[in-house]
Amino acid sequence: MNSIDDLIAIVRDELGLPITDEDAEAGFDQLAGWDSVHLLRLVTVLESTTGRRMSLPAVLEADSLADVYALATQ
Amino acid sequence: MTISTDTPATDLLALHRAGELAVNYPKVPGLLAELDAAGLTRAGHVLARLDPDEVRRHHPGTPVVGVAVTGHGTLSALVPALTAELARHGLLLRPTLGNFGSYLVELSDLDSAIHRADPDVVMCVLDPVMVLEELPLPWNVEDVRRALDEKVALVTGLAARFESARRGHLVVNTLPLPRAVTAQLVDYRSRARVGAAWREANAALLRLADVHQRLVVLDLDPILAEGVPAAEPRLSTYAKAHLSTELLAEMARAVGHLARNLTGQTKKCLVLDLDNTIWGGVLGDDGMDGIEVEDTYRGQAYRAFQRVAKQLSSQGILLAAASKNNPEPVREVLRSHPGMVLREHDFVRVSANWRPKHDNLSELARALNLGVDSFVFVDDSAYECGLIRTALPGVAVVHLDEDPALNVQCLLRDGWFDTREVTDDDRARPARYRDEVVRQDFLQTFDSIQNYLDELGVRVDLAETTERDVPRVSQLTLRTNQFNLTTRRMQPADVRAWADAPDSTVLSIRSADRFGDNGLVGAIFLRRGADGLHVENMLLSCRVFARGIEQACLAAVLGHARDEGDQAVYGSYRPTVKNGIVADFFTRYGFQRAGTAFRHDLRDIDEPPEHVSLTLSFPRSTP
Repeated sequence: MNSIDDLIAIVRDELGLPITDEDAEAGFDQLAGWDSVHLLRLVTVLESTTGRRMSLPAVLEADSLADVYALATQ
Repeated sequence: MTISTDTPATDLLALHRAGELAVNYPKVPGLLAELDAAGLTRAGHVLARLDPDEVRRHHPGTPVVGVAVTGHGTLSALVPALTAELARHGLLLRPTLGNFGSYLVELSDLDSAIHRADPDVVMCVLDPVMVLEELPLPWNVEDVRRALDEKVALVTGLAARFESARRGHLVVNTLPLPRAVTAQLVDYRSRARVGAAWREANAALLRLADVHQRLVVLDLDPILAEGVPAAEPRLSTYAKAHLSTELLAEMARAVGHLARNLTGQTKKCLVLDLDNTIWGGVLGDDGMDGIEVEDTYRGQAYRAFQRVAKQLSSQGILLAAASKNNPEPVREVLRSHPGMVLREHDFVRVSANWRPKHDNLSELARALNLGVDSFVFVDDSAYECGLIRTALPGVAVVHLDEDPALNVQCLLRDGWFDTREVTDDDRARPARYRDEVVRQDFLQTFDSIQNYLDELGVRVDLAETTERDVPRVSQLTLRTNQFNLTTRRMQPADVRAWADAPDSTVLSIRSADRFGDNGLVGAIFLRRGADGLHVENMLLSCRVFARGIEQACLAAVLGHARDEGDQAVYGSYRPTVKNGIVADFFTRYGFQRAGTAFRHDLRDIDEPPEHVSLTLSFPRSTP
């Protein structure tokens, strides 16, 4: 994953959510169709993509995809 | 040779990106059929975004199955999993997800959202944490037993209430026993006792199925025993998802088969390939004594597979065989091979011929008065599996692993024949069908296969045999019996001598298609005489026979001879017991009989089949 655009693409293709690049900074409550199952699924996908384990408590406290991206790449 | 092509997963994604999934919903089962667990999970998330009503607007006939999900813990991962599993069967899921932690209220209150949705299936998912959170601290075995008893009583009450008040089916599950329970007890006797208490609770849950007609109890032990993790500690601790995503996916698969059963789409007939499916080896090449079905390592694996087929048949599943073979040797094996479990009378029909298999399946469906969508087809060949998937999309296709030890698992991995009840009438069905079906063998007709071949991307490489090819070419001459025009057996030294002699040459045939590389599959032995070029022998593995490869190769040889200024090409055929399928090989492609041989005057060479792309690399001025 080289940029947040890759994360946006993963959300579109793996979760089926029709989000755009502008949604990266938006809060999860602003994303159409978003619910907690998506966050859990996203962690699974990101861990297998990056080969690194993420901190689930930190992810559950994330407010936006930008937050998740920061956690996945830190 | 490698051939790249779009995978079903990328096709599905392309439809999703283009917003065309709903319009193309009938294609979805075909795209899901070959996906592994991870691919299916991914597809489930994408498909779960579809509005069932929109799909129905485009395809009003699509059956909709309402499934309500409730139970202990976070269960939202079940919705995409169920969506994918139902879509595999061409069904549409109308999900209702209960609220977290309120399954008791939701199931007891007949005015709750899940009851008002009037679902066909209600899943009430039970997990071990619902027991553990009832324990005091410290706890002992009796505390666990008491907590288990309470939960069993609770589920018993819910099941009774459901049955008296609701239509549809209630699905519950047994409780996986976490190691964290047994391992917290340090003495062996207490561990054994808590294990016994836990199993007694699960047994009580399983026995509920005896008293409630519309209750299905999923036994999770066999799934866990195959290595599916019961839980993922992080998801359990932080997200209250107490069963692993993989386990929930397996439960969704079981509910998918229940949904298929409820919508009247239960599979009724198991159609088995023979060579390398119910026995090891190729009957046409290896002969009755050469196939493996009993004492060898692999033979025992095939025999185990036959026993499973027989067991299924005892419960009303019809068995049929579809094999590219001559009928007589097959009949002989089924009648008199001492190692066979399955016999002629176990099959409602044995189609042993050289027709495309989908023609045999269509004909079988007509004869049995069943739809082909009630068939499960089992084959070791990717080509045959692909053909059936393409030509008869309703057929469930089981592609066997290369190692026969895994074949039983492959067949039983999916509950294709799952049903709510087996009746006496079901058990009598195979015998009844056997009496009704007239056995017949068919003429060769290859027309209906053309569409499939056009998509198959057959590539053939015809080149002079190199030193590296010699062992394989020799092996082909020794082992190939069916497509072997003269059955001349050659040791490696013989092949080498033929290749090196000034007036003769050997050509290797390699082939590949979209399923992968088939490797070196055949050979042509040529000799130049004063009167023209002689095809002294040609052989082709029966794995790739009847795909146009032999025709393309022969056309290339004829073209080469004409370019070289030959007056004619001669062909030899020496009949044996096993090579009858190529008796008319030369006359089929424009040769005339000339004494004991066949002669082509090179004036009018048949065009090679368009679906085969052939590369020819033997130098000019070689025989």
